[in-house]
Amino acid sequence: MAESFLEVHDLHKNFGGLTATNSVSFNLDRKEVLGLIGPNGAGKTTLLRLITGILKPDSGKVLFKGEDITGKKTWEIVNKGIAPTFQNMRPFRRLPIIANVMVSCLSPRSMKRGEWVKKVEAKAMDALEFAGISDMALEKASTLSQGDLKRLEVARAVATEPELLLLDEPFGGLSPAETDLMAKSIARLHKGGRFGRLHSEGPAMIIIEHKLQQLMKIVDRIVVLDFGTIIADGPPQEIVKNPEVIEAYLGKGGV
Amino acid sequence: MLLDIIIDGLIKGSVYALLAIGFSLVLGVARIINIAHTALFMTAAYLIYIGSKLMGLPLLLAMAAAVVLTVLLGLVVYRLFIQPIQEHEAAVLIATIAVAMMLQEVFLMSFGGHYLGVPPLVDGYLTIMGAKITYQHLLALGLSLVMLVGVRFFLMQTRLGLALRSTAQDREVANLMGMDVNRVALLTVAVSVGLAAMTGAIVVPLITVEPTMWMHPLIMMLAIVVLGGLGSIEGSFVGAYILGFAESLVVFMLPMGSFLKDSVALSVMILVLLIRPEGLFGVSFEEER
Repeated sequence: MAESFLEVHDLHKNFGGLTATNSVSFNLDRKEVLGLIGPNGAGKTTLLRLITGILKPDSGKVLFKGEDITGKKTWEIVNKGIAPTFQNMRPFRRLPIIANVMVSCLSPRSMKRGEWVKKVEAKAMDALEFAGISDMALEKASTLSQGDLKRLEVARAVATEPELLLLDEPFGGLSPAETDLMAKSIARLHKGGRFGRLHSEGPAMIIIEHKLQQLMKIVDRIVVLDFGTIIADGPPQEIVKNPEVIEAYLGKGGV
Repeated sequence: MLLDIIIDGLIKGSVYALLAIGFSLVLGVARIINIAHTALFMTAAYLIYIGSKLMGLPLLLAMAAAVVLTVLLGLVVYRLFIQPIQEHEAAVLIATIAVAMMLQEVFLMSFGGHYLGVPPLVDGYLTIMGAKITYQHLLALGLSLVMLVGVRFFLMQTRLGLALRSTAQDREVANLMGMDVNRVALLTVAVSVGLAAMTGAIVVPLITVEPTMWMHPLIMMLAIVVLGGLGSIEGSFVGAYILGFAESLVVFMLPMGSFLKDSVALSVMILVLLIRPEGLFGVSFEEER
C-alpha cells in the first residue's frame, strides 16, 4: 500500500482512569477534508492535540507523509506543515491583530532567510485580507468579537501555508451569516491558489464541528468518535444512515 | 545644582531602565526571576577593569571584550544551571541568587573589597550655569539613550523582537505557531545579559567597582519592575526614570542622607502599589486570562 499523507495508528491516551482515545486509527489523503464528530467528551479535541504533539499518546503512532512524528515537539510538527487552530481562541491579547498573524509567519517553514519585517507584515496583511478582517489590523486582539477571533484563527493558520489544517469548531459561536462566510473561506482555502503573497497548495483538513448541516456540505468523509473509539468512518451520506451513529450521537430525530 | 540633578537623574534613570528592561524580558519569555542580572552587570564592570587596568588593553577594546565574555558567561550559566531545573520556578530563583553570590565571592577573593575604578573614555568637563558636567557624563547619557532607542527598535521592528514579545505573552501559543520556544528563550537570555553588560560598560567610568556593587542596582531594579507593572516594558521605562530622579534628589538634597536612597525608592514603590496594586502599566490578572 502506498504511504498515506497522514496515518494515525492505534492511538491510546488515558487521563488517570479515563480513556480519552482508545485504539484510534484512520488515514487521510493529501486532498481530503475530514469531519470529526462525536458527543461532547468523545475525545475529538484530544485526538487533535495528540496529532500536534501537545499531548503525548500512551501508545500508538502518527505518521505524516511517511515520517513518524509521534513525540516530536509541537513547533517541529507545526513546521512540517500541520497548522492547528483552537476551539477557545487564544490570541496574543496585547498585540495588535497584524502582529498576531506575523508571529505565525515567523516559523522557519514560512520564513525565507533574511526576510525583513516589512515583507512579513505584507504577508500577514494578505492573510488578514483572506480572512476578511484586514480593516482591523491595528486593533488589539482583546477587542475582537467572537466571530472576528475565529477569522483571526483562520488568518493565522493560512499564514503558515499549511499542508494539513486542523480546525476545532470553526463555526462555534458564529451567527448563521458568519457561519456561511466561514464555510466559504474554508472551501476557498481548500481549493488553493494565490492569496496575494501567500500561496496555498490547498491543505487537507480535519474539522471538528457540532453544526452538522454546515459540516456535511464541506467534508468528503466523516469519522465518528464515541467514548474515545471510532464507531463509524465513511462518506457523509452513509454516516447519517448508520444506526450506531444515530443512537450514539444524533439522537432519535436524526440531523 | 538643578542641572546636576537633571543630568544625574537622567543617567541613573536610563541605566535602571536598561537593567529593568533586560530583567523583564527574561522574566517574561523564560519565566526566570534573575537575581543575578545585576551581578552580571558587575561582572562586565570587573572585566573592563581587568582588561584596561591589569592587561593594559585600550579601553574600548576592553569594553567590547567584556560585553562578549559576559554574554558567554550568562549563556553558559543558563545552559548548565538554569535550564535543567527550569520547570521548578522556586529552584530557579534560588539558583540565580546562588549565581549572584558566587560572582560576588569570586570578585571578593580575587580583588579584595577595594574600591576600584576605570578611567573615563573622554576627559574634560563643561561648565553650564555654574555646574561642572564632565564629558563622560554626557557621553554616558547619550549612549544610554541611544541604547534605549535601539532596544525599542529591536523589540518593535525586528523578527526576533516580535518572537520575543509574543513568547512573553503566551508560550504555548507561540509554540503552536511553530516557534522554537527554547531557542527564543536562549536568545532572550543573550539579549538581556548583553544589555546588562553594555550598561555596565557605559557607566563603569562613573562608578566604583567593588564586590557588592550589584546590590543597590538590584534593589532599584526590582522596585522599578514592580512599580512599572510586572512584565511591562513601558512600565520598566517610566518606573526607572521615576526612581532614578528620586534617587538623585535624595543624594543631592541630603548629602548626609544618601544612605536613605534605597528606602526612598522602596517607599515610592509602596505608595504607587497602594493606589495601583498592578503597577503603573501592569495588566490585572483577570484580564490576562
